[in-house]
Amino acid sequence: MSDRYLTMAKTFFGTSHPLFNAFGVEVEEVGKGRAAMSLSCRPALCDRHGGLHRGVVVTLLDTNCGLAIFSRLGDMRPIATIDLRVDFIRPVPAGEGIYSEVECYAVRGDIAYVRGQGCAYSDHNLLATVFGSFAVGTLGPAFDSAMKGEGKV
Amino acid sequence: MALNKAQKEMLENTPFVEFLGLEALTSDEGFSCRLCFREQHIGNPLLRTFHGGILASFAEITAALYLMESLNLVEEPLCSSMTFDYLRPAFAGTIRAEPCIVRAGRRFVVVSVDVYLDKTLVSIGRFIYSR
Repeated sequence: MSDRYLTMAKTFFGTSHPLFNAFGVEVEEVGKGRAAMSLSCRPALCDRHGGLHRGVVVTLLDTNCGLAIFSRLGDMRPIATIDLRVDFIRPVPAGEGIYSEVECYAVRGDIAYVRGQGCAYSDHNLLATVFGSFAVGTLGPAFDSAMKGEGKV
Repeated sequence: MALNKAQKEMLENTPFVEFLGLEALTSDEGFSCRLCFREQHIGNPLLRTFHGGILASFAEITAALYLMESLNLVEEPLCSSMTFDYLRPAFAGTIRAEPCIVRAGRRFVVVSVDVYLDKTLVSIGRFIYSR
């Protein structure tokens, strides 16, 4: 995938998006139906033990699934999660960040299939796995249409 | 019905619960939770829908709180896995989560949670906890 695409993904998943900004989501890599993202520990997003909350893990993985699909499609057509399964292998250690990697391994008709995982940022210990399917070409304008219009890409 | 001590502690001491703005509701009709839309919940900024991860988090926290009450747990239960079906877009508004214990076995408990936007069912989650 081109640098242009990484720039576009970084723009969409960057600070202009209120949730990704609040979470501090970073795009690490995008290309060939795969994407990697990360976020570091922020106190507001933690559970009572000072580790990132399970809900933050799910949110990052769901977001990362979307980026992997955009990479496979080669554009940012609107997509929507159909279903998502997340297994929580171990809680996020206190103060630890998360590094996630998702692959869009198939697209059939209007459905894209993804699988991936979230690991501890520092030692790559497995924290959670994800499987899901997404509807492609759903309601609303393409995510990259607004950015193209603004001349950001 | 009022919230018990363990539930109150979890609500008050979990920063992410505050970030979400989740409210627990107790009434004679049963336990449920409510979440009013905030900008930081946004998934699709063009349609202004709740992010799928926010919906799942909201439902999972509801399930955990409900278990603490139903099974008289003093500690927050550990969720080992979740499956979530997104049935309709959840547009910005106030959503409500209604939990139900599918089975409380000796080792595992399965909880299902229905999430409504107004009176429309927008998603269903199933959460497995080990005890």
